[in-house]
Amino acid sequence: MTTHKDSFIALPAPAADRIYRPLALTPGEDLKGYILAKAGHAVLFAITCTSVLSVLLIFFFVIREAVPFVRDYSLAQFLTRSDWYPEAGAARFGALAVIVGSAYVTLAALVFAVPVGILAAVFLSDVVDFRVRAWVKPMIEILAAIPSVAYGFFAVRVLAPWMQTHWGFPTGTNALNSSIVLAVMAVPTIISVAEDSISALGPELREAAYSLGSTRMETTFKVVIPAAHSGIIAAVVLGMMRAIGETMVVWMASGNANQIPSPWWDLSQSIRTMTATVAGEMGETAKGSLHYGALFTVGVLLLIVTFTLNLVSEVLLARAKKALGKA
Amino acid sequence: MRQMRWYAAVAVLAIGSVAGAETLRIEGSTTVGPIADAFADYFKTIQPGLEITVNKTGSGNGAAALIDGRCDIATMSRFMKTDEEFKKAVEKGVTPVAHMIGMDGICIVVHPSNPIKELKSDQVRDIYQGKIKSWKELGGPDTPIVAISRDTSSGTYEGFHEMVMKKQDMAPGIEQVNANPQMHARVSSTVGAIGYVGMGFVDAKVKAVRFDGVEPKRDTILNGTYPLSRPLFLFTNGYPKLGSTIHKFVTFHLTEKGQELVEAKGFVPITKY
Amino acid sequence: MKLIVRQGLDKVFTVLTGTAVVVLSLVLLVILGPMIVKGTSAVLFHGTVEFRRMQQALFNRGSQGQLAAEVAETKAARQKVYDLIDAFKQGIDTESLKDQAGRIHRQFGQELQDKGIQGEQYTALRSISRDIRTRLEQAFDSRDPNGIQQDLAYVLGFADDPRFRGTAAEGFFRIARQFQKAAGRVDVARRGQYATALAEVEGIVAELLGPRPGSPMPPLVRQQYGATRWEQAQAILHRFSFTEQWVEDQPGRPLIRREVRRREQFAGTDLEPLFDYVPGHLSEMLRPSLTIYWQFLIDDSVESHTFGGVGPELLGTLAITLLGMLFVVPLGVISAAYLVEQAGDNWAVRTIRMCINTLAGVPSIVFGLFGLAFFVLTLLPALGLEPKACVLAASLTLAVLTLPVMIRSSEEAIRAVPQTYKEGAFALGASPFRTFVTVTLPAALPGILTGVILSLSRIAGETAPVLFTGAVAMGRVPHSALEPTRTLSYGSYDMAVGDRIAMMFPHNQYGMVVTLVVLILALNGLAIVLRTRVFKRLKGH
Repeated sequence: MTTHKDSFIALPAPAADRIYRPLALTPGEDLKGYILAKAGHAVLFAITCTSVLSVLLIFFFVIREAVPFVRDYSLAQFLTRSDWYPEAGAARFGALAVIVGSAYVTLAALVFAVPVGILAAVFLSDVVDFRVRAWVKPMIEILAAIPSVAYGFFAVRVLAPWMQTHWGFPTGTNALNSSIVLAVMAVPTIISVAEDSISALGPELREAAYSLGSTRMETTFKVVIPAAHSGIIAAVVLGMMRAIGETMVVWMASGNANQIPSPWWDLSQSIRTMTATVAGEMGETAKGSLHYGALFTVGVLLLIVTFTLNLVSEVLLARAKKALGKA
Repeated sequence: MRQMRWYAAVAVLAIGSVAGAETLRIEGSTTVGPIADAFADYFKTIQPGLEITVNKTGSGNGAAALIDGRCDIATMSRFMKTDEEFKKAVEKGVTPVAHMIGMDGICIVVHPSNPIKELKSDQVRDIYQGKIKSWKELGGPDTPIVAISRDTSSGTYEGFHEMVMKKQDMAPGIEQVNANPQMHARVSSTVGAIGYVGMGFVDAKVKAVRFDGVEPKRDTILNGTYPLSRPLFLFTNGYPKLGSTIHKFVTFHLTEKGQELVEAKGFVPITKY
Repeated sequence: MKLIVRQGLDKVFTVLTGTAVVVLSLVLLVILGPMIVKGTSAVLFHGTVEFRRMQQALFNRGSQGQLAAEVAETKAARQKVYDLIDAFKQGIDTESLKDQAGRIHRQFGQELQDKGIQGEQYTALRSISRDIRTRLEQAFDSRDPNGIQQDLAYVLGFADDPRFRGTAAEGFFRIARQFQKAAGRVDVARRGQYATALAEVEGIVAELLGPRPGSPMPPLVRQQYGATRWEQAQAILHRFSFTEQWVEDQPGRPLIRREVRRREQFAGTDLEPLFDYVPGHLSEMLRPSLTIYWQFLIDDSVESHTFGGVGPELLGTLAITLLGMLFVVPLGVISAAYLVEQAGDNWAVRTIRMCINTLAGVPSIVFGLFGLAFFVLTLLPALGLEPKACVLAASLTLAVLTLPVMIRSSEEAIRAVPQTYKEGAFALGASPFRTFVTVTLPAALPGILTGVILSLSRIAGETAPVLFTGAVAMGRVPHSALEPTRTLSYGSYDMAVGDRIAMMFPHNQYGMVVTLVVLILALNGLAIVLRTRVFKRLKGH
């Protein structure tokens, strides 16, 4: 009878050794297994940390290239003045106009996108049944999937001439053009997050409202939306993030005029955004020059803004989840 | 012949370059770029192993690339700036040598429906400084002026800035485009637009106005009567070795074929050939 | 509020929500529709004999014999056009006579060099030749019949000079004599007008039919062929029949565009029948036929997208995408596996999740900046490579960009695997690692594949990150991952705003964008189909 060296259980001799294994391990094997498991765990953890590493690297490198500029040029002037003349003899980098430009098209885009987005989200979650939803959802996903350069192409080759000929705008590449297209790009994000939040409420809340005799519209505005308000605001914030971070559309279709529109509500004027400034000027800038640092500083601004919006949306979504847990 | 060779994805992903084909890297102006393209296309027929890449991102970038050693030939529609580019080049051990391959005129262009036929330099300056806002003030129709400019790294912009704006700043509300073709597209599609392009980009879709009374034509540019004429350059690092590919490229404009190509692209060749 | 009002408002609200969705679908249609329709014309169109000639010459396609036969057939129809033009030209077209004089002068100079004549003799002969050329040009330009005769007499004075016998210079005397005869017949005053009008007509005929057989080959490839597409030919035909004039409508308003029939410029001359002949016989001269140019997807572009296709761009996009996937798939799947299987809810994991969400929110241009600052300017030199834009840097940048997408989809896929699978494996004695590799992963594979496809489509469509890390507008197909490449995304941007030729040939412009959009939509469609299949399969259990 063959027994395993150190085992306490005597086993019958197997016909083919390699198929059967002793159920008990030697201390050596046990230790090896433990170390391997822990090591494997650590390796996996390390690999997963690449995402953390990436974020840290992004912040580090973008900020590092911006530091020389912030050191040599007054940050106050950068943030409060509008004159952006990087190639003049005495270069001036006043980024106020491009910062306002970004905010301007984003807010205008939201004005178009939020009503459409929330109405569509309500439509998908409350109004129609599953079969229609199965048709509409892919359409929204297609809208989300179209690459930004195709949207930019549409904005500059189709929408801009159309604006000039049919709406009598002096120039078709303006804030309105960019805002409309940015709104179309932001809507799918708003719809999907808002719809998730609204659907997650469950039928009980709505049924209670219906049983008290309210119409669908009243239920939506007085019960559903307030209950899901965190999620909906998070959706809007995510849409805002999408619009502010978008580069190609505004580069191609906003006219790239470094100005703050006057009067402020005149969307038919051309503006420039932060993203378009970086995209348009980086290719021609000497590495390490003041202009280079200025563009990276604009990048840092973008990073800070999107990071803050991201945090806000996460807090809101966490709050929404907690509210559901309680309800 | 010119068919695409199918690379296995792996071959493309293989890190490490394949030795062999000679390469010529050209970077710089969007004005001179089309001439470089035409030369490159011709060179590919007489020297099939030669790989030429032409990047058109602006004269300033061409200079920077030559200084950094990222390109062999820099195309520029202006001369190198003494302080920023020439000095930096010499500091880095690069000796920029200019080869003038043709002449260009910066033409002030408007939409063909604009009845204005000529403009004076101070009128154009006032337009770009935002002082004149409607074509009516210049005797034209009552449409708002849409002034469009090139971005500041462009050689065309430099020329315009120096010769028309007299180095003064433009108004902030000017639309900016990145390249000559983009300027052409904007002006040809916008009724109230005014812009400036290299002569090679003037065709039936835009109208070049007389500037200070002179029509931009081949003769007026060659003899200098058109005030906005400028030479077009190819810059190399030192004078290229006689007989090398770079040398052939930068002296190609002296041959009849080269002059034909320069003229075919709409610029003014330097001789009457 | 009364019940009726409330119910009415409710109906209105329902309709409004429906309208929102309808508006969105209309927007989708408006955006994609024209783009796809115009883009399809890059591949599906009526190609003319000029197209087939171009394909044969540049890409070696089609049988030469067949093509030669076709060209011969069109020759008969075209010859009439050239005959009409020639008949009219005698004594009118001074531009080409001047060109001819210039060419003869250069040819003569070349001949002298070939014969080895140098020094003083060469200079003397060349200067006489130049003199003759100048006098001839003067004669051609002159409106004064006497002046013309004087100049021609001077030129013909050299006709008997032995030094010119048997050389190219005899051409001088030939055209001088021809011009002498023609100048007698034509009204010199109107000659200038006819000349410019004729030059325009000849230019348009060259655009339609290509350069005239026997005339010197134009330098640009674009000018070496006539209209390659029937639709293009129709547009040129319109310009042939009508000239465009901007005339004053009312003072103080913009000029308006008026079209004038071109034949009115030639009323009463020999050239007038041309304007009936060409429209009537255009299909004979060009022989259009339905062409499916699928090679658009593999051909290189000729002379900045005049002809050819988007092959290098497509290949560049695929190269960057696949290389990026090579980096992001293992990272993403392993991270997702860790997060699902191993991680508890401690601060480390919460940080990781927050970082993943942050990554997802970073704007694409900032990724471009990061790619430039880190991958191109720091990592490449650290590896001993040149710090320039290349496929490798672009793929790494895009890999980091897509990491959140990959992690999220993989996580979703792994979580969706029913607990019972794992429990069954544990019951059989498998270790967690073994369970994962042999049971969970295969079950989650379709879902992971969905994630892979979504990441693929995301990478392929991004433009901003590759702007400074890997893309060029014009350049060769990269031979290694250390070179920059053209991509569909950057190419679409360049064609949309920066390329003059693209404006003249919009089908190439739209073709590139549509290739990109179709590629991405196809990938997304595949992902959707896969996801519904996975959903059904897992639900079934």
